[in-house]
Amino acid sequence: MPQLPALLAGDEFLISKIQEAKPDGGTGPFQVSGFVNGVLTLSANDFSWQGRPFLDAVQIRVHRAVSDQWMDFVAGRVDLVEVPAERIRQAQQQHLPVVISPPLEVMALQLEDSGALGTPALRSAIGYAIDRGALASVIFQRQGIPAAALLPQNVSGFAFLFSAERDLNKARELRGVGAPPALQLEADGDGAPQLAAQRIVLNLREAGFTVQMARAGAPSSPMRLRLLPIESADPAADLAAMARAAAVALPGFNSDPAAVYRAERDLLDRKTLIPLLDLPRAYAVGTRVRDLQLQSDGMPDLAAVSLEPSR
Amino acid sequence: MSLRQKLLLLFSLTIAVTVAAVAWIVLLRIRHVFEQRDQEETTLFVSQFQREFQSRSAEVAASVQRIAESDRARAIAVEFAQTGDPAPYVNEAQAMAQEAHLDFLELIAPGGEIVSSAQWPARFGYPEPEAIAQAGASFLKREDLPDGSQALGLFAIHAVRTGDRPLRILGGEKLDPAFLVGLPVAPGMTVGLYADAQSEPAQKPSAEFDSRQFIAADGPVANAAAYKPLILSTLAAGRQSTSILYLTKSREESLNVTAIPLKNKAGQPLAALTVAISRGGMVAAQQQIRTTAYGVASGGMLLAIVFSLWIAARVSRPIEEMARASGAVAAGNWDVTVQERGHDELTVLARSFNHMTAELAAQRERLVQTERVAAWRELARRLAHELKNPLFPLQLTVENLSRARQLPEPEFDEVFQESTRTLGMEIANLKKIIGRFSDFSKMPRPQLERIDAADLVERVRALYATACGENVILQTHVADGPMPLDADPELLYRALSNLVLNAMDAMPNGGTVTISAKPAGSAIELTVGDTGEGLTPEECERLFTPYYTTKEHGTGLGLAIVQSIVADHAGTIAVESHAGSGAKFIISLPMAGA
Repeated sequence: MPQLPALLAGDEFLISKIQEAKPDGGTGPFQVSGFVNGVLTLSANDFSWQGRPFLDAVQIRVHRAVSDQWMDFVAGRVDLVEVPAERIRQAQQQHLPVVISPPLEVMALQLEDSGALGTPALRSAIGYAIDRGALASVIFQRQGIPAAALLPQNVSGFAFLFSAERDLNKARELRGVGAPPALQLEADGDGAPQLAAQRIVLNLREAGFTVQMARAGAPSSPMRLRLLPIESADPAADLAAMARAAAVALPGFNSDPAAVYRAERDLLDRKTLIPLLDLPRAYAVGTRVRDLQLQSDGMPDLAAVSLEPSR
Repeated sequence: MSLRQKLLLLFSLTIAVTVAAVAWIVLLRIRHVFEQRDQEETTLFVSQFQREFQSRSAEVAASVQRIAESDRARAIAVEFAQTGDPAPYVNEAQAMAQEAHLDFLELIAPGGEIVSSAQWPARFGYPEPEAIAQAGASFLKREDLPDGSQALGLFAIHAVRTGDRPLRILGGEKLDPAFLVGLPVAPGMTVGLYADAQSEPAQKPSAEFDSRQFIAADGPVANAAAYKPLILSTLAAGRQSTSILYLTKSREESLNVTAIPLKNKAGQPLAALTVAISRGGMVAAQQQIRTTAYGVASGGMLLAIVFSLWIAARVSRPIEEMARASGAVAAGNWDVTVQERGHDELTVLARSFNHMTAELAAQRERLVQTERVAAWRELARRLAHELKNPLFPLQLTVENLSRARQLPEPEFDEVFQESTRTLGMEIANLKKIIGRFSDFSKMPRPQLERIDAADLVERVRALYATACGENVILQTHVADGPMPLDADPELLYRALSNLVLNAMDAMPNGGTVTISAKPAGSAIELTVGDTGEGLTPEECERLFTPYYTTKEHGTGLGLAIVQSIVADHAGTIAVESHAGSGAKFIISLPMAGA
């Protein structure tokens, strides 16, 4: 399994025992030193193999709403906050210093290949019915890129494997003349993904599908809007992770670009994972933060960051 | 049923029917007045409610107008006119709606496409059919929501004045329980909203009733099914209608419900607003009045019956006295009188009755006097006649004897002997006549004892069987079985003997005398028949009159005595005769123990 090291390095295989965290645990630049009231505290590791970081400690407040993060940021209580893709434009309009990664998250529609969506043509019709341009330009405020492949161009090296343009006539043609099955769509996360899901519902209704949003607590829906992260710079590993996340079994392939292309092509032909948008990761960075770089997975590299003293 | 009872029944029924009719009319009128008042109250509430509804509509329109006239909306309109890009405003409608406290808000491009939607942000770019609506007036609209449901809202649209192709603001307030909470509700009043759950607003109202779509301010309406006919008819007709709904069999559990159709701009009913006012208080008041009325009516009827009893007694008493007096008169007591009270018709009747009985008594007395005189005359005539017959021979004999005094002694002796014999016979005849009259006057009272009619017939037969002679045949026919009589055997024997002797006298040339006895119902019939010449009808009528006789030497007292004996035994006697076929006397006596 050529992607095994990258696979093991992924978040889904992360092993952590926060309750038993000790200051001397791990070999990275920071060690977990506490997790109290939703605040994770990382302390500098003097013995990191990369060398001791500039920051003595980092406090990360988890599960905090974006609007609250922004209030904290504007008030100067924090130095780094997340900026969802759909709010990058708003942050920029508010003259917040924003660091934006290349597209490292794929918004895709995962379809069941059985039951109501057992017909590939029907799944293909769904792909044609969705207006990626509206999703990218309006909902994600031009920060998303309509996806014409599973892997973003900056990861795979090629821009498209199919046309990302909406073709409503084609969608209607593939849907057929019969009464379409009643479908439900659920979406991961809230905010923009939910809005995007609502838009997709509208697009599909326009194409003649009978779709509505799944209610909270409803059983598993045949359609699910997913955000699939790109966690490494290895396209093969990323594709394998996508297939795994979509519960699709792909035959083994190596990191050869041609093999990755075939595997991606194979995955797309199944019409069970329809890529919609490539989204970046972004952060608003305080003015006293120096030398912040984003890693290949879009996460900030805190080991290289330094802070200017508060004025 | 006596007159008093009839009068009582008549008075009671008349009063009861009158009281019942009056009570019914009064209760009907009270009910009508109550319901009219209830209807007026409902109308007042409904009109007040409609004014409030219109006020809320005006508030929505004003809110939308304020948004449209705000600097923010104008800025968006100007920017959108320049860029045509809806992306910056995708969440703008939500913020505006939140500030204006509206449930629905959409920014609509001049072309009719949605720029931003508060209720469904993802609808940007899609057309809004109501974008062509005139600004200002509010209207009802069914709004699609992201979760596939629909919500009914009170909408208004207003243009943002920024040029020839203005942006439009379409805002509204959802008609939901929260909306109903804000409406004025009087005590005992419930406001409900039924939104027809059809998918297409252009369709006609659904004939199905979904009780889940019927909500009140505090949640689903209780007993929603009871409203179904009213709501469906209101939606179908598109007109306000009012009806009384009975939630249970009890009238107190009823509502006066007015259903108001809520229409869209095309005039199609989208929902029905129900204003239900409890009739419990009114029905309870009616019940109390009804109970009081029943009590008063019952008391009135009771008093009426007592009064009727008194009236009936007062009216019927003279008539009853009159009836009793009439009965007494009919029984022969002509001395009875009735009391005369007052001066009314009954008093006149009583006076007339008394006068009548007095006249009858006087006439009877006069008749008795007349009959008595006639009887004495008849008796004198009969006595004169009877006594004259023997006196004439006596006179002749005495005169002959006196003349014979001059005759020689032998001849005188012969005449004397003949004269004394004649004198003796005529004197005996006189004694006999006097004895018969004496017997008739001394008719004894019967000494009753239990006898059998067969024994009586046998005793008579045994006496006259040998005395009949050769040319008269005496035969008897006696029925089998006992024929008991409570009678005086000697008197009856005497009566039968008299009849047998009459029968024998009626057949000087011989014939057959038949004596028979047989039961006839509750009586015993004793019959004596002959085969003589018979009697004429005139003779039959006068046969039992005292001193009437068809015989040459009869006293006319025989059949009178027979009739007297039969009458003393509570019996009757009759005669049947046809000319030339004999006569038959039938005595009917009551059977003992019958």
